[in-house]
Amino acid sequence: MLKISNLHAGIEDNEILKGIDLEVKAGEVHAIMGPNGSGKSTLASVIAGKEEYEITAGSVVLEGEDLEDASPEERAHKGIFLSFQYPVEIPGVSVTNFMKTAINEGRKAKGLEDMPAKDMLKMIREKAELLEIDRKFLSRSLNEGFSGGEKKRNEIFQMAMLEPKLAILDETDSGLDIDALRIVANGVNKLKSKDNAVIVITHYQRLLDYIVPDFVHVLHQGKIVKSGTKELAHELEEKGYDWIKQETAV
Amino acid sequence: MAYTEEELKKELETKEYEYGFYTDIESDTFPVGLNEEIVIAISKKKEEPEWMTQWRLEAFKAWKQMEEPEWANVKYKKPDFQAISYYSAPNSKPKYNSLDEVDPELLDTFKRLGISLDEQKKLAGVAVDIVMDSVSVATTFKKTLAEKGIIFCSISEAIKEHPELVKKYIGTVVPQKDNFYAALNSAVFSDGSFCYIPKGVRCPMELSTYFRINQAGTGQFERTLVIADEGSYVSYLEGCTAPSRDENQLHAAVVELIALDDAEIKYSTVQNWFPGDKEGKGGVFNFVTKRGICHKNSKISWTQVETGSAVTWKYPSCILKGDNSIGEFYSIAVTNNYQQADTGTKMIHLGKNTRSTIISKGISAGKSQNSYRGLVQVNSRAENARNFSQCDSLLMGNECGAHTFPYIEVKNKTAQIEHEATTSKIGEDQIFYCNQRGIDTEKAIALIVNGFSKEVLNKLPMEFAVEAQKLLEISLEGSVG
Amino acid sequence: MDLKDKLISSFMAFENKVDVEHPVHDIRSEAFKNFEEKGFPTKKEEAWKYTSLKNLQKIDFSIFPKEVDALENKQVKKYFLQEIDTYKIVFVDGIYSSFLSETTHDGVDICLMSAALTKPMYKPIIEVYFNKVASKDESLTSLNTAFSREGAFIYIPKNKMPKKPVEIVHFSTGNEASLMLQPRNLIVAEENAELQVIERHQSLTSNEVLTNVVTEIFAAENAIIDYYKIQNDLKTASMIDNTYINQKSNSVVKVHTFSFGGKLTRNNLNFYQNGEHIDSTMKGVTILGDKQHVDHHTLVHHIEPNCESHQDYKGIYGENSTGVFNGKIIVDKIAQKTNAFQQNNNILISDKATINTKPQLEIFADDVKCSHGCTIGQLDEDALFYLQSRGIPKKEARALLMYAFANNVLESVRISELKTSINRLIAEKLGVRLGFDL
Repeated sequence: MLKISNLHAGIEDNEILKGIDLEVKAGEVHAIMGPNGSGKSTLASVIAGKEEYEITAGSVVLEGEDLEDASPEERAHKGIFLSFQYPVEIPGVSVTNFMKTAINEGRKAKGLEDMPAKDMLKMIREKAELLEIDRKFLSRSLNEGFSGGEKKRNEIFQMAMLEPKLAILDETDSGLDIDALRIVANGVNKLKSKDNAVIVITHYQRLLDYIVPDFVHVLHQGKIVKSGTKELAHELEEKGYDWIKQETAV
Repeated sequence: MAYTEEELKKELETKEYEYGFYTDIESDTFPVGLNEEIVIAISKKKEEPEWMTQWRLEAFKAWKQMEEPEWANVKYKKPDFQAISYYSAPNSKPKYNSLDEVDPELLDTFKRLGISLDEQKKLAGVAVDIVMDSVSVATTFKKTLAEKGIIFCSISEAIKEHPELVKKYIGTVVPQKDNFYAALNSAVFSDGSFCYIPKGVRCPMELSTYFRINQAGTGQFERTLVIADEGSYVSYLEGCTAPSRDENQLHAAVVELIALDDAEIKYSTVQNWFPGDKEGKGGVFNFVTKRGICHKNSKISWTQVETGSAVTWKYPSCILKGDNSIGEFYSIAVTNNYQQADTGTKMIHLGKNTRSTIISKGISAGKSQNSYRGLVQVNSRAENARNFSQCDSLLMGNECGAHTFPYIEVKNKTAQIEHEATTSKIGEDQIFYCNQRGIDTEKAIALIVNGFSKEVLNKLPMEFAVEAQKLLEISLEGSVG
Repeated sequence: MDLKDKLISSFMAFENKVDVEHPVHDIRSEAFKNFEEKGFPTKKEEAWKYTSLKNLQKIDFSIFPKEVDALENKQVKKYFLQEIDTYKIVFVDGIYSSFLSETTHDGVDICLMSAALTKPMYKPIIEVYFNKVASKDESLTSLNTAFSREGAFIYIPKNKMPKKPVEIVHFSTGNEASLMLQPRNLIVAEENAELQVIERHQSLTSNEVLTNVVTEIFAAENAIIDYYKIQNDLKTASMIDNTYINQKSNSVVKVHTFSFGGKLTRNNLNFYQNGEHIDSTMKGVTILGDKQHVDHHTLVHHIEPNCESHQDYKGIYGENSTGVFNGKIIVDKIAQKTNAFQQNNNILISDKATINTKPQLEIFADDVKCSHGCTIGQLDEDALFYLQSRGIPKKEARALLMYAFANNVLESVRISELKTSINRLIAEKLGVRLGFDL
């Protein structure tokens, strides 16, 4: 589904990603772990097409199509979803209105008519239930005044609504208490299928107890320095990132 | 599509003023300058009775003693009051009985404004009193209104036809000496609208007036007087546009609303006077005094969408004199490029159980400055007064400013006052977030601006809301929409 | 002898009870000097304008209580959470009660300040954290620091989370005619750790008690702390609560303060945001009657960019009670993109009740979002009448409306048993028997 080859990217002459190779197939869950500043969030932003990052070499290919020239909204229409580490507040725009617009814009790109209001309502109701989101919440301004847990739950709610092929969860666990973490992970697990894929970016192992990865990759200084199965995450938690740093230094 | 703060800014700047054209109609214009003779001449020209001439002269005397106020948070070159022509009327003097008689060029102007009378007639049944450079040239639906005893005409006509009403109410809410610009207006007002709704009558249609400033170097001094007699209801719409001009034009209007016992007045304004170009050249100075008085159980509701003028200085206010009366103020003020707005409201609670609501939304882009200035005053005898105020500011880009000056003066402990204020900024982060969800940049800005403004847009009558929404997009979105 | 003199002369006696060679004692001596110099704050100081400590200083408090007999479990059972299991750190007249407590050292340390201050194994932690965030300037905090010896000590290492919430309870027995207590708590959650704490002060007889407590809380990167303060003491108990919280990047700290009881209560709640993307929440419900006085002084200092703070305080004031809310928010120049929210809603249900509320915003950055809302009002008579017309008696209808008013604050209480018990306290305080299962 997603194939990243020899990806070099950075911001204003400062190279952050220094040759990443990663292949994600449909139905898989990949975890990307690494110390602060290793390039995890940059990788997520580059896949989603954030402008300020420049690809200097290599490619990001989604289902055989190179994404380099695609705008962020085109990538979204192709099925890429990024759950933001710090979801942005949009005053005055309700969660419902935002979702309605996003879904219909996506349909427009595919040459489809707007989704009938009745179907939209039904879908919103179902997905809100999945994330244990209160109805009142849907009429509030997007992310404005939301607690940390609410913001993250709202991200996964949007993921449920947009039904992406590839979801990237950028540090979705940060700031989440254990109760909220369970709800979010449960939501993600229910959305998982053989046709879609998930990349979980995290600093800690705790989330991976709930969203169990097929593969774990360790990112360090802009490169994947180690890959393995979920045991690798436990090992990292025990030994800390210094262990990886030492190992790669050798 | 690439999108950065820089581009957002550029896009916001590129939209030129759509209504910036000049209609070439022969006008009858007075020489520039202001003195007693001019005041008398205006009064004469309009065939006014003696008491009106005297009233104007009193105002002129007061004005000469006054100084231009400086407390507002705006900076501009003060107008030279001796360089303005105080009277300008289209040459086609006689009144028209049907639209066919109206100068086709004038009708074309209206069409370009998107307010063709035919369309309006069909669409909404709106009675339109058009003030084109100060003199009312066409009034429609007068008949239907007359049947209900409603008087809707130009103020000059009212002075002649209904002197008892004008004499009784003019200057009672905004006295001649109220402030510098109100005094000036009282002395030289050229025309305006007058409306009287008799006891117990519910006005069957939205009353509407369009103002345009057309002739170069003419000041626009309209005077509006709306009287809703006991138990009546009226919804009044006012729309304003001005063609592009290089020198600043002065607009100093006075609006007085009188809501007698159990009456309700809804006064909506969409103002898009020429804001000046993107270098900050030209544009209208809009110094307006709008005030209403509420008697027992009555209600006055001001709604305004302000996207135009280079400098705006405007505080539609309510004096809640009668017990149980209600005052409301809903406002959207948009400033872009070098525009400056200092606007807000005053709610003066005098009666018992009086309530007021203030919702103010300021959107600033470019290098503009947008200030909210509001006063909520609860007097000692105003038992159980309530106020809710909400002032939200939305900033676009890094060079604009939003300021809030709420004043609260409470002299009665049973008062309930709530005040909320927020300031938020739209930048690259929000745009990228929307993009990532599949929403392109133009759509994202429209979504944000409409979302931010919807509480106020919802208060406008339907046909006006659509126009206002369009205006917001024109003012902010550049090529968008 | 007034209280200040008594405290000064007691310090020597105190020094006989502690290890004066220990480095901590230098901190105590320094703090003592500050208190000696400044004394008790007076109403002349802006921060104490609405709260007078004058009458309290006339009371002859014992500074060092005698050893007391152990309390029986059944005497105090009702002051603990019933339905769920918790760790407990319990003090009786300032002295640790091992009989009533349940501490642990299993992966996390939930134990005593006296142990932490004396045992060598805790020395590195004490060195890094003790008296670091607490004010060295504020005289009452200094007074506590000078006499700091006992209290709760909680240390949660990286990635750890205790199996259950922790209750810190201080009982006073009334064996002394009047007693002054100065507990000192230190709570540390290291990186990615999570913790829930409930703190309560309770006198068991109607003798005068004055508690001057200092709590220091540290939340490292990604740490999550929920802290609940239950203030429902007898009308002879006064308290000055000084809580200082230091947060690092991505941490989330919530403090809920429920003030229903006591004679005079002053809550100094201070948040310092030393990192980015920090979330600080402080919420409170205050319900007062009689001549009770509660003064909430909050401070949020936004030091770094991209942080949030949320304040929501609801107050219901009856009879001759007085409430004070002073919410100060400082946004430093570099703290761009700060979101600071403050809400303070009050209902006066008596003509003689007073509320003084003052938001204080000092903003030096230009790209910030600060909102503050403040209301003072009465119960909605129309709503009251509506409920009555549906057969709900006036007293219950009033209680229901007041409960609805305060409900927002309770929504974020994560321990459902605690929520239930607070609901019970609210019903009790409002004099009704209602379930409030809204």
